[in-house]
Amino acid sequence: MRSIPRRPEATRLGVAILGVALATVACEADVAAPLGPRREVPPTQGGVLRSAFFTDVRSLDAATAFDTASAVIEGLIYDQLVTYDRHGKLSPQLAESIEVSPDGLRYTFTLRRGVLFHDGAPLGADDVKRSVERTLHPDTPCPVPSYYERIVGWGEYHEGRAPELTGVRVESEHVVSFQLAQPDATFLHVMALPIMAPVCESAGRTWTREFSRRACGAGPYRLVRFEHGDAVEVERHDGYWQSGKPYVDRIVWYLAMQPFTQRFKFERGDLDYIRELGEADSLLYRRSAAWQGLGEWEQPLSTFGVFMNAELRPFDNRHVRRAVAFALDRDQLAQVRPGHVAPTGRMTPDAIAPEAVRDVGQRHDLDRALEEMRLAGLAWDPATRTGGWPEEIEYLAILDSFGQQAGELLQQQLARIGLRVRIQLVGFPTYLARTGRRRTVPMGSVGWNADYPEPSTFFEPILTSRAIQDEESQNASFFSNAELDALLARARVTTDEAERGRLYRRAEEIVRDEAPWAVAYSYRYFELWQPYLHGYRPHPVLQQDVRFAWLDRGARPARAGLFPWRRRSGRTTLALATVLP
Amino acid sequence: MSWLLRRLAVSAFTVWAVVTATFVVFNVLPEDPARVIAGPQARPADVARIREQLGLDRPLHVRYGRFFGGLISLRPPADPATDSAVRIGGVGLDLGVSYLRRRPVTELLGKALPPTLLLGVLALIVQVVVGGVAGCLAAARRNGLLDWGTVALTLIGISAPTFLTGLLLQHFFARTLGWFPLDGYGATWGERLHAAALPAATLGLFGAAYYTRLVRDEMLVLLRQDWVRTAWAKGLPRWRVLVRHALRNALMPLVTVVGLELGGLVGGAIVTEKIFRWPGIGSLSVDAIVERDGPVVFGVVLLLASTVVAANFLVDLAYAVLDPRVRRR
Repeated sequence: MRSIPRRPEATRLGVAILGVALATVACEADVAAPLGPRREVPPTQGGVLRSAFFTDVRSLDAATAFDTASAVIEGLIYDQLVTYDRHGKLSPQLAESIEVSPDGLRYTFTLRRGVLFHDGAPLGADDVKRSVERTLHPDTPCPVPSYYERIVGWGEYHEGRAPELTGVRVESEHVVSFQLAQPDATFLHVMALPIMAPVCESAGRTWTREFSRRACGAGPYRLVRFEHGDAVEVERHDGYWQSGKPYVDRIVWYLAMQPFTQRFKFERGDLDYIRELGEADSLLYRRSAAWQGLGEWEQPLSTFGVFMNAELRPFDNRHVRRAVAFALDRDQLAQVRPGHVAPTGRMTPDAIAPEAVRDVGQRHDLDRALEEMRLAGLAWDPATRTGGWPEEIEYLAILDSFGQQAGELLQQQLARIGLRVRIQLVGFPTYLARTGRRRTVPMGSVGWNADYPEPSTFFEPILTSRAIQDEESQNASFFSNAELDALLARARVTTDEAERGRLYRRAEEIVRDEAPWAVAYSYRYFELWQPYLHGYRPHPVLQQDVRFAWLDRGARPARAGLFPWRRRSGRTTLALATVLP
Repeated sequence: MSWLLRRLAVSAFTVWAVVTATFVVFNVLPEDPARVIAGPQARPADVARIREQLGLDRPLHVRYGRFFGGLISLRPPADPATDSAVRIGGVGLDLGVSYLRRRPVTELLGKALPPTLLLGVLALIVQVVVGGVAGCLAAARRNGLLDWGTVALTLIGISAPTFLTGLLLQHFFARTLGWFPLDGYGATWGERLHAAALPAATLGLFGAAYYTRLVRDEMLVLLRQDWVRTAWAKGLPRWRVLVRHALRNALMPLVTVVGLELGGLVGGAIVTEKIFRWPGIGSLSVDAIVERDGPVVFGVVLLLASTVVAANFLVDLAYAVLDPRVRRR
C-alpha cells in the first residue's frame, strides 16, 4: 500500500505563519508614526481628502437628511442662509445681511450676489422660497418640519390646505423675508440647519426619492457619487462664491466602516482624518508623543444621565429623585472612559451654556443623598444595610451603549443609599417605545443631542409638560413643572440675551432641585489627522467641518491604495521575504 | 410530474408562511418604525406625519393586504417615475420602498445579491474543498499525526467565532502583509475576487472545519465496507480507492449539508460582511432589522426563504445524480 507523503515543511510553515500572526497582534501596543512631516504651508488647492463613518448615510436630500453622518456631507454640498463662525456664533452665509424687525416677527435676508448652484444657475430669492416650501411640503418626509411652525401659514401649507407658504415672501430678486406668528429666539438657529438649505431647481417643487443621489446645492463641493454602505464622493465646485475656496479637489467619505478598519487605514494613509477611534486606540494616540498637536477633543453638544419617571414610585417623591442625583458619582463614571466621558451636573453643555448658568448643577454628595432618602421616609442605614426602597427598580438601557456601563456603576452607587436597581437591556427601537409610554419605565439611561446650539433644545423637547404624551412621550421622566414651562416659553420669545441667561439659570436650578434627570456626563470624540492635513480643527458647532481644509501634498507619502497589488508590489515583496525563509 | 408539482406547492407555501410570520411578528412588536426613522429628536407631530406617509397608521390586515396584493403585478406601472417594481417580461415584482433609504427594495436587493452570491460561492468552495481534502486525508491517516492535527484544527475552527477569525485574517494578511485589501468590494471583477479572498476564507474556514469532521467520520465508516476492501484486494491505486470508492459516497451527507447551508451563507454572513464592509444581503438585513425597516426585512426574508427552498430542491436533484439508486426510484 502506497502512502501519501507527509509534508513536514508545510506544517512548519503553517506554524510559523500562525506564530508570527499571533506575535504581531500581541505586540501591537503602540501606534504607527504620523505619515510625513508637519510643515507650515499656505492654503493650496489640490489633492484628495479621505475619511470614514462607522454608520451609513441615510440621505443627501437636504429636506430629509437629519442624522449626524448626513449632516456632515450636507455641510459640503449645501450652504445655508446662515451658519456658525469659528467661534460658534451665528453668521450670515448665503445671506449678505439679516435684518430682524423690532418686534422680532420678521426676518429679512438679503442674498449675496454671484452665488451659483452646482448646475450653474444663480441663487435668487425665489430659490429660497422654493426650497423652503419643498422641505415643508406635506409629501416631504422631513423629520422635523415642526421646527418651523412659527412661520406664518405653516399649518395650512404643511397640512396641504394652502398652495404656498405665505409667511415666506420674495421681496425682490435677492431679498426674501420670513414672517413669524410669534417671536422665536431660536429661529436663526433652525434656519442654520442644512434642512433649510437652498437646493437646485432640479430638486423640483416637491420631494422625490431620486434627488438624494444627485443632490445639488450651492455649497463648496458638488456630489459625484453616493452609494449606500460604500462611499460618498464630492469634488470642488469651481463656481463657489468664496473665491479660491475650497482647496481640496475631491473628498471621499467611506461609509459603514468598522472603527478598527478605520484605524488600520488611517495609519497607512488610506484615511487622512479619523474621529471614530476605539477607546483603546484613542488612548494610544493621545499618549503618543509623535501625535501631539495632531489631534483634539471635539466640543460635546450632548448631555446624558439617568431619567426618573416622576409618575411612578418611588420617583414620584422628589426626595428620592434628589437622592439619586446626589448619589451619582460622576467622576467615578468618567473613569470608565477617561477623556470621552466628561462629567457634568448641568443640562446645557459647556459649549452653549450662557455665562449665567455655569455655576449651577447637580453634584455628588453621599451624605445629602442619605438625608434625602430619610426625608422621603426611606431612610437607609449603611451600617446594618437596612431600610431603603424594598423593591427592585428597573433601569432601562440600550444594549451595548455606554448607558449600559453607566447603569452597572449606578447599580453599585445606588445600593449605598438603599435603592436596588435591576438593569434591563433592550435594542434602540424598543428603548424608544418603552421610555415613551406613560407609566411604564421607572428609570433608565437618557441622552439628548443639541438640535441646534441653543439652551432651549435641552429643555423644551424633553422636560416640559408639552412634551408629555401617553405614547411616544419625549419627556421620558414625565416631569411636569408649571414654573419651568412658563419660563421656557418666555425664554423662547425673549431676544434679550441677559434675560435669557437668567431664565435658563432658573431652568437649570429647577432641574437641579427637582431632579427629573440625574444629569451625569457629556460624551465627546477625539479627532485625529495626519500631519499633511491643514486648516482643520474641530468646530464648536459643526461636526467634522473639513470644508476649507487643505493638503500639503509634498509632505504626503504615496498612498497605499485600496487594492495594494496595484501600487504596493514593493511592500508586498518585502513582506513575503520577511515571512518566507 | 406530480412529485414535482407537490414539491413546488410545498415550497411556495413554505415561503409564504415564513414571510407572513415575519410580517406579523414585525408588526405586532411594540416598536414604531416611524419613531426610528424620524430619530429620537423628532417631535411627536412629525413622527405621526411620517407614520401616516408610510401607511403605518393603517390596520395590520390592510398593510398585509397591500404588501401581498402589490407583490406581483401584471399591469404596466401607472407612473414609471415612482414605480418601485422590478419587471421581468410583463411581470412586476414589487417589494415596496425602504423606509430609511427611500429606494425600492428590489433595487437594494438587486445590488446586494451579487456580492453575497460571490462571497457565498467562494466560501462554499473553500469549505467543500478544504473540508473534503482535509477530511479525506485525516481518514486515510487515522490515528496518525495528520489525523490528530486535523481534528485539533477543526475543533479550533468550529470554536473560533467568525469575528475573531475575520479580525485575525484582516490584521495579518491585509494590514501587516498587505496582500489583500482591508475591506471593500472593488470596481472590477479582478478587484472583487481579490477583495473577496479574506471574507470568503473567514466564512469558509468555519464551514471547512465542520465539513472536515463530517467527511472524516463518513470516510472512516466507508473505508471499513466490503466494497472498499474488495477495491484494495484488486490492487487499485490508493488515491482511486479513497476518491472513487470512498470519498464519492462520503459526499452524500456533505451535499445535504451544503444545500441546507446555502441559505445560511446568503443571509448568515452578517458578521463577515460587517468586518470587511462587504455590501451584501447580510449587511443590508442587519441594518434593516436594527432600524426596523420593514419592507427591506420582508424582502430579505422572502429572498432567503426562496433560496433555502430552492437549495433543498436542488439537493434532492443532486441525490439523483450522485446515487444511481435514487435515480431508479
